Amino acid sequence: MASANQRTPEFEPPEPVGVRRPDSGPTGPVMLPGAGNAATARMLQGAPAGPAGLAELSRLAGNSQFARFVAQPPAPGGGAPPTPGGVGAGAHGGPVQELQVKLSRLQASALPLTEDGRYGPLTEAAVRNFQTSAGIVPVTGVADPVTKAAIDAAFAALPAPVRVQLALGATGPDVGFAQQKLNAVGANPRLVINAVFDAAMMVAVIAYEIAALHRFPNGTVDAALWTALDAGVKGGFVASEGASATPVEQNTPSGTADSLGAQVAGTSLHPVTGVGGLIQGPAVHELQQKLNTAGASPKLKDDGSFGPLTRTALQAFQSGRVPPLPATGTADKATWDALDVAAPASMTGAVERQWTEVVGGATYSMVGAGASHYSWEIQKTRMLVTAKVNFVGLAAPGAWFGHVEAMWNQYQGVDAASGRSLPIDFKMSSGGGGDANTVQVKPGTGRANAGEWFVADPNAAKTVPHEFGHLIGLQDEYQLHPGDYVRVTGHEPPVGDAAGPAVAPNVIATNLQNAMVARNSANAHAASVGAGVKGGAFAQRVVQEYAKLATVTVPAVAAVAGPPPVPAQPAVPLTGDLLFDLNAALPSDNNSYETIQTFSYSSGSIMGDPGRVSDPHDHGAQPRHLGEFVAILGRALGGTWEAKRR
Amino acid sequence: MILRLVIADGSQSPAVAESVEVAEDGALTGWRSVSDGGVGWFAGRLPAAELAEIQALIGAAGAAPPPARPRPEAAEEVLELTATGPVRIAGLTDGPGDWPRLAAASRRLLDRLTDFPRAAVGVSRTPGGGARLEHRGTDPVRVDLGTVAVTATAWRGYYEPAGDWAGEVTGPGEVEAGPEWTYDLPIGFEPAGPDVTVHLTADFVILSGPTRIPVRAKYTPDA
Repeated sequence: MASANQRTPEFEPPEPVGVRRPDSGPTGPVMLPGAGNAATARMLQGAPAGPAGLAELSRLAGNSQFARFVAQPPAPGGGAPPTPGGVGAGAHGGPVQELQVKLSRLQASALPLTEDGRYGPLTEAAVRNFQTSAGIVPVTGVADPVTKAAIDAAFAALPAPVRVQLALGATGPDVGFAQQKLNAVGANPRLVINAVFDAAMMVAVIAYEIAALHRFPNGTVDAALWTALDAGVKGGFVASEGASATPVEQNTPSGTADSLGAQVAGTSLHPVTGVGGLIQGPAVHELQQKLNTAGASPKLKDDGSFGPLTRTALQAFQSGRVPPLPATGTADKATWDALDVAAPASMTGAVERQWTEVVGGATYSMVGAGASHYSWEIQKTRMLVTAKVNFVGLAAPGAWFGHVEAMWNQYQGVDAASGRSLPIDFKMSSGGGGDANTVQVKPGTGRANAGEWFVADPNAAKTVPHEFGHLIGLQDEYQLHPGDYVRVTGHEPPVGDAAGPAVAPNVIATNLQNAMVARNSANAHAASVGAGVKGGAFAQRVVQEYAKLATVTVPAVAAVAGPPPVPAQPAVPLTGDLLFDLNAALPSDNNSYETIQTFSYSSGSIMGDPGRVSDPHDHGAQPRHLGEFVAILGRALGGTWEAKRR
Repeated sequence: MILRLVIADGSQSPAVAESVEVAEDGALTGWRSVSDGGVGWFAGRLPAAELAEIQALIGAAGAAPPPARPRPEAAEEVLELTATGPVRIAGLTDGPGDWPRLAAASRRLLDRLTDFPRAAVGVSRTPGGGARLEHRGTDPVRVDLGTVAVTATAWRGYYEPAGDWAGEVTGPGEVEAGPEWTYDLPIGFEPAGPDVTVHLTADFVILSGPTRIPVRAKYTPDA
């Protein structure tokens, strides 16, 4: 996990009410995608509406995009949150989190509250402030029903975000928010959140007008379109939170988060079990349960020990496939694939996840012996997820085990339809064997990685839970490409800084490429961070302009003794992908890291970079990180389970 | 040169930017920027047996290994051999095989390096409980102590946290540190108890001509 001095993200305030006039912007001539130019031009000139016009326009963006818009589910987020009863100090859970959201937005807290679902002193003080300002007596700091009702009413009375009509050529944060929402409702291809109403955005706007508003398109994001987008997708504006009026960009949910690393193609999620593989433990439990579900006769005792009966049952299962699998007595990928079809659910499971991630333009992985190993068990009163670790070198300090539980044991699985709930507990245990992760415990301090931790790490309370996240298959959430960011977090990339400095993006892109050719990270930093580029929409315009540059090959360089030393580097053919190229061409130092940070996206969660990204809405362990386990609950117990704060 | 290892990591500050190089005759040279054994320049000579071990590992490794992707959060590690040129080894974890063994041995050379300080500065704990910067080696080194960021972390028993402190000390600015040079840094932290161990870090700048290199000297007596 990266560590750095904390920074506060900077966001643009909302624009004043009014109609934004299209401006020339920095993007140069606007060209619409070829297939729809004529139709769009006629439409923009007031071509008659009607079925014929719609039919012509339907070719504009392709039927698939229209279909995606039409197929959108009902607007999420419209339902009322659960109503908490009176809650006070020491309370915790989803209702407390909802309370914190509202107190921050009502500016009852001093600063934006970290929405952790814990009713601590800051939350209590915010309730007191609200009670005082609302004239509620006595002032107790307890969110009793009267106070809660008043908070709900005040929150409901907050003015809606001011939306500005947008047309082709418009720029600014509102354009970025519209782009986020169009992506969230299915724009295909996804829009870059660059805060420029360009040709690509026009296509998405027109498609949405036709498919969702069922109107002849006018190519603008007007009041009706804003209303539809806001009804369909939460977030997408900047709110003043806390008495400090801290501007906080409200995340725009988009799709279903998948926080797991990308599974290596062709690999199994099951460890090899049985002959030549694991012969005891959770993997064998899972094997026995699935063999029983698949019809093992006689039924196997679910004892987690791979004995002769289990072997015979496994061979019988293998022989019974059509076509038969080799009756090896080894549950390999092919056998597990067949077992998963025959018996999708079990109450115990073992996972061996081989995965990769792209962070900061470099690819990292946990594969082979270094794959993520973990197991889960649905017990009577909880679901227990365990990552067994074979600590080599020094012994693991006892506090590390508590750090994992403090960070991760905050959620429960909830099936809203049936009302069932089950705490989901995480545990790091110490032990060896083929289903254990290996972690070297080194003396002193240093920057940990997934397989190397430092015994005297003063930040172990965060480092260990982050690295534990890797052991259960979660990938990093910092320095990501936009597509990876939205997949991993389930949020659209933030709009961030839409205006940028008084330097054209193409000039910055050219300067960056020159710095790469010279292998000069200080120049790259000066051309971007030093020039005033901050993360967000403007930075993405630089990324786009960089992709348009002619690619060149950066020549090889010999090692530099330094200090600071720089290793010899082979020639690097630049690709047009700014993150890849910055990583490949520049030395790994503070300048290059900060430059890459500017052009990428990071979350503030435990798997992200909370040292650099402060986000009261997205911090610590998040429900998305438990996605795999609530899905397992659904398969095993039926229903649709979600992770909720307990 | 028969072997050169460079480890770099710009995600933390001060950045890790360290190197070690072994010559055919066993001469060992390098630079450390974040280290328990002092920061700065190091130079010495490997005993014959250690040199022979390294040579044997290099000979066994032969051609470059297949690419191995590093684990999440891994630093960049580039090993340069005469036969292979630069090879990224961050994905080569300890384990069996010629290349993993060579990679592990190369990493150990960085620690070995600190046994041979030439122009380096380390940090230690004074009898009074403060932090003390001290020159190590034979050659002078220019340092900027205008602002020194100091941290102290106390541990009780087996690495049970027992408090910490962080602060900045305004020092004398640029000075030349030579043999016998020390500079005391007060810290506002007095952990008590017979079984308490205190670790220290001191962040400052080493000057190499016009180049200013942020460094972190660490004191971890049990490391």
